[in-house]
Amino acid sequence: MLTAPDRRRSMASEAGSRSSARRHLRDVPVAGRIFRLLASMKFALVLILVLAIVTMIGTVVDQVPQGVLEDQFAYAKWLSRAHERYGMWTSPFERLQLFNVFHSLVFRALLGMLAASIVICTVSRWHGIWNTAFHTPTRVPETFFGHARYHVQFESSLQVSDAAARVRKALRGSRYHVRADVDETTVALFGDRNRLSRFGTFLTHLALVLILIGAIAGGLWGFKDPGFVVAEGSTRDLGMGTNISVRLDHFADEYYVDGPPKDYRSDVVIFDDGREVKQGTIRVNSPMRYEGIAFHQLFYGQAAVMKVQDAAGNTVFEDNIPLAAQTSDGLRPVGYFEIPTYGLTAFVIGAAPGPEDPAIPAGDVRVEVYKGDSSAGSPANLIQGTAATVAGLTFTFERESRFTGLKVVKDPGVNIIWVACGLLVAGMVALFYLPPRRLWALCVRRPDGTTEVRVAMPAQRDFAMDGEFERMSGKVKDALGGAPSDPEEGDTHA
Amino acid sequence: MPEELSQFSFAVALATLATAVGLYVLSIVGNRGLQAVGASGGMALLRPADHGPRAAAGRYATLLTTNAFVFLSAALVARAVATGHGPFANMFEFSLAFSWGAVALFLYFEFRYQMRTLALFVLPVALGLLVYATTVPRDIEPLVPALQNNLLLSTHVAVAVLAYGAFTVAFAAAVLYLIQHHDRIRWLPPRAKLDEIGYRAVLVGFPMLALVIILGAVWAEIAWGTYWSWDPKETASLATWLIYGGYLHARVMRGWRGQRSALLLIGGFGATLLTYYGNLFFGGMHSYA
Repeated sequence: MLTAPDRRRSMASEAGSRSSARRHLRDVPVAGRIFRLLASMKFALVLILVLAIVTMIGTVVDQVPQGVLEDQFAYAKWLSRAHERYGMWTSPFERLQLFNVFHSLVFRALLGMLAASIVICTVSRWHGIWNTAFHTPTRVPETFFGHARYHVQFESSLQVSDAAARVRKALRGSRYHVRADVDETTVALFGDRNRLSRFGTFLTHLALVLILIGAIAGGLWGFKDPGFVVAEGSTRDLGMGTNISVRLDHFADEYYVDGPPKDYRSDVVIFDDGREVKQGTIRVNSPMRYEGIAFHQLFYGQAAVMKVQDAAGNTVFEDNIPLAAQTSDGLRPVGYFEIPTYGLTAFVIGAAPGPEDPAIPAGDVRVEVYKGDSSAGSPANLIQGTAATVAGLTFTFERESRFTGLKVVKDPGVNIIWVACGLLVAGMVALFYLPPRRLWALCVRRPDGTTEVRVAMPAQRDFAMDGEFERMSGKVKDALGGAPSDPEEGDTHA
Repeated sequence: MPEELSQFSFAVALATLATAVGLYVLSIVGNRGLQAVGASGGMALLRPADHGPRAAAGRYATLLTTNAFVFLSAALVARAVATGHGPFANMFEFSLAFSWGAVALFLYFEFRYQMRTLALFVLPVALGLLVYATTVPRDIEPLVPALQNNLLLSTHVAVAVLAYGAFTVAFAAAVLYLIQHHDRIRWLPPRAKLDEIGYRAVLVGFPMLALVIILGAVWAEIAWGTYWSWDPKETASLATWLIYGGYLHARVMRGWRGQRSALLLIGGFGATLLTYYGNLFFGGMHSYA
């Protein structure tokens, strides 16, 4: 623990890192006050801790999935389920956005303030750290050697220049970078190690800002389709402002002997402007990438190859229909297609999974046809390979098939994120494992021709430097081949 | 065969560690034989006197802990051979790994800084994790497709348990710091030393937790197409990281040094436990472990 005078001294020795003295806040305009607040470490610390608490709240309280939030009906359903758990707290929680903490205004404001604080802290400390790294004086006032947090004094029978050469060699041996300043009776030495590590703090903080920028870039210029569905043999346009379409040739799933899934894979072909541009297999842990767009395997399900003919036997529709949605009771898989020439919409409903479905036998599909909102004919159940007439058209359920559900993501921010992660790690390694060290030595010629060697290190605010100082003064002592001149002076003032 | 070896090693580790905890308590608590050595002032190191029954208990405790560490390592390796992947598929494997991380970091700090007293709070945590592991199912289940990225996930988990282990050491140092009021208790290390140990442990754990989150993000990007999903395990680890980030700033600030910093370390450890156990309550994408 530093005592008050120690602290003053150590701060004075941090050349230039503390700028001007505090002025009266009342005299400073609002912008200046905000600047000062954002430049203050104390405020930054409070921000970090508040952010941690808010993040913890978002962890402990159930969060609404993003898809649900966009769908009013689904959201109401979600809230009623939340009510079972949170009871009377549900509506205050909802009003406080506690079910959507990470997209709430408060959370975003905190992140924004943190970013601003980081930028302003960086700017206001840059100069001081730059000076400490590159413009440290070789010769410091002699009083420093008596007042520094760590100091020791040796006597040597060597001449000044020889003693200085030995000290210099000892420091270099410990990977210190040494400068010397010689005058008539003294040699001043300054050694520093890992001085560039001081900039590690900028790397880590810059990385955090970059991560936010990457996230924002992804949100602004990227897109995400969490459920892009293609049935086997069928081709679908991706949309999202692209001319890309995807054809699924084959979907396969494999299982372990005792049931759990082992592998899902989709063989797909990607077209851009109608040209085939890429072909391959998408698996759970190996997405396909094309032009910055990634296709991930996410889910799969049942599909039905349907054919529709008019009374004359002309085919008016033929495609593989993914049953990727659910009926409104949530029981059965359903898909639909339009027959534009007739203004009809046809729904294809599969059997409910699990035990026997009373309405639709397993393996069958039911076809319901609508014109606008009203039914255009009585529904028909179809066995694979059979046909039925609904609304004057012949619907054939040619065969059972499958669809694949892909997550399609374009995120131009993701590379920024990875670069930022690299910077973060590099900065932390520099800061924590290659910490900067500084040491001054002064070799003074005595009247009898012997030399007095004084060594001092300033306190570091984060690290207890006892170990390092003990090690370095030991090296200097060994180099000079003598004991400290005065045992009491030799103690570190901790 | 590897599975039986794993179970056997686990049982031995559990018994040995339990004995070691007892011996540590005997050798440390109330031991007036501890004497200050090394530099003067607040930075004195305390080493136990090297004779007498308490000293013997201390030596055996260290020996047993090292032994427990070897058997825990064997249990993990044998389990990995049996399952064909790292310890990330269920809570049994992960609890073993967390305990291993805590013991590993404790031994490092004991040998490097002569901080035997940390055992009082680190090892009960490690032991608790092992006892908890006996209560959860330990069947070897095949991996669902999303988890079949062996190297990345094994690294993710290996770094995680070391980070958690480091935070356990920091927690122990912080608790001892708070107990050691005004440096009055002779058989505990001085506050300055405990403060330094807590800090050094965070210097190990904090960057590692960052790496855990980054590796998780890389994996999530590959498996799910999104590097970040606000999944409870993700947000819990982010909150944990923020708390330790706060600690690193607080420790060099006037008014926040000492007591308050120590409290942050304890809060951070609470968040670590929540990160580790959270999936049991919150569900989410880490629901397997």
